[in-house]
Amino acid sequence: MARIIGGIGTSHVPTIGVAYDKGKQEDPAWAPLFRGYKPVAEWLAKKKPDALVFFYNDHATTFFFDVYPTFALGIGERFEVADEGAGKRPLPPIKGNVDLSIHIAESLVNDEFDMTMFQDRPLDHGCASPLPLLWPHEPDWPGAVVPIAINVLQFPLPTARRCYRLGQAVKRAVESYPEDLKIVVVGTGGLSHQVHGERSGFNNEEWDMEFLDLLVKDPAKLTELRHVDYIRRGGAESAEQIMWLAMRGALEGEIRELHRNYYLATTTAMTVTLYEPA
Amino acid sequence: MNPQLEGVEDLEGTYVFDLRTSHRTMKLNRFLWNMISAGMRESYRADPEAAMSDAGLNETEKALIRAEDWIGLIRHGASFFVLEKFARVAGRTNLEVYAMMRGESFEDFMKTRRVPECR
Repeated sequence: MARIIGGIGTSHVPTIGVAYDKGKQEDPAWAPLFRGYKPVAEWLAKKKPDALVFFYNDHATTFFFDVYPTFALGIGERFEVADEGAGKRPLPPIKGNVDLSIHIAESLVNDEFDMTMFQDRPLDHGCASPLPLLWPHEPDWPGAVVPIAINVLQFPLPTARRCYRLGQAVKRAVESYPEDLKIVVVGTGGLSHQVHGERSGFNNEEWDMEFLDLLVKDPAKLTELRHVDYIRRGGAESAEQIMWLAMRGALEGEIRELHRNYYLATTTAMTVTLYEPA
Repeated sequence: MNPQLEGVEDLEGTYVFDLRTSHRTMKLNRFLWNMISAGMRESYRADPEAAMSDAGLNETEKALIRAEDWIGLIRHGASFFVLEKFARVAGRTNLEVYAMMRGESFEDFMKTRRVPECR
């Protein structure tokens, strides 16, 4: 039986990818971010999970608004890293696990989560920005990614509670997989930020801390919030933090926070956290 | 009104991208989205007017693109996440676009940030 051995929360700011590719790991302005990922990367190197289930969002790269899925699951041996307007990044294609992805797809649909399935499509910074900070990619990635994209771009978005329940369903899917795989769930996005309109640059550190605390101690409270509550407290684009609730749902029950790094340098509160079941 | 968004109109400087907006600005957003294709970037650079006409943009939209009027495009209903693809083609970083949307010079905007060197 496969099982979930832990969870990670991480921002997916595209600039992280740019700074990584430019080798800014030791740059004093960037070092507090990169350093903050090290304990998580070390934990992953020690625990050696077979796959990361990534709850992330596509930024209208893999999908356009002509057909924009609410929940989509990727199936493939490999996923290319997308060109988002500035050309290709120097990263190997992300590894997939076809059998695991298909099992999760079947389990979710039979559990009444009617996913869209995608194949042969690239993944954008929603997944690719934090991935190389978590896992080495030389000569190749050490494991597979199961990408689960959540619409946080075009309203109506799934509710916070629906995302939590998706996570619970992913837990059931993983635990019904016959092979003894170790799985880590990753929730991406946030924390507070707004990147459009005159309110661009909005942050709320107090709310970010409250969110992180509630995520561990009382996630039900976070599932009761409406999108407008996230927009008001954390900035318009922070509504994407509902993707952390999918990760939390997959961990269900009591958890321990092993690590937290919070770095608000310019516009997005760049955060990484690590959890294990208590 | 989507009950999940009740009261969002009270937030200044915030433009919710919902299906109403998306439906109205489909052609503009597709034009911006196309900038993830190297071929489409080349076509735009070679002949911006032809690329905008081929994409079916109206005169208002063409003028906003010509002027690289970021806040104007957002108010008109562009999704920021396709707008940022066009910003790459226009040679602007996201930080520069945020400053312009706020109506501030880049350096003034960066002074309001905690780590202005983080760019």
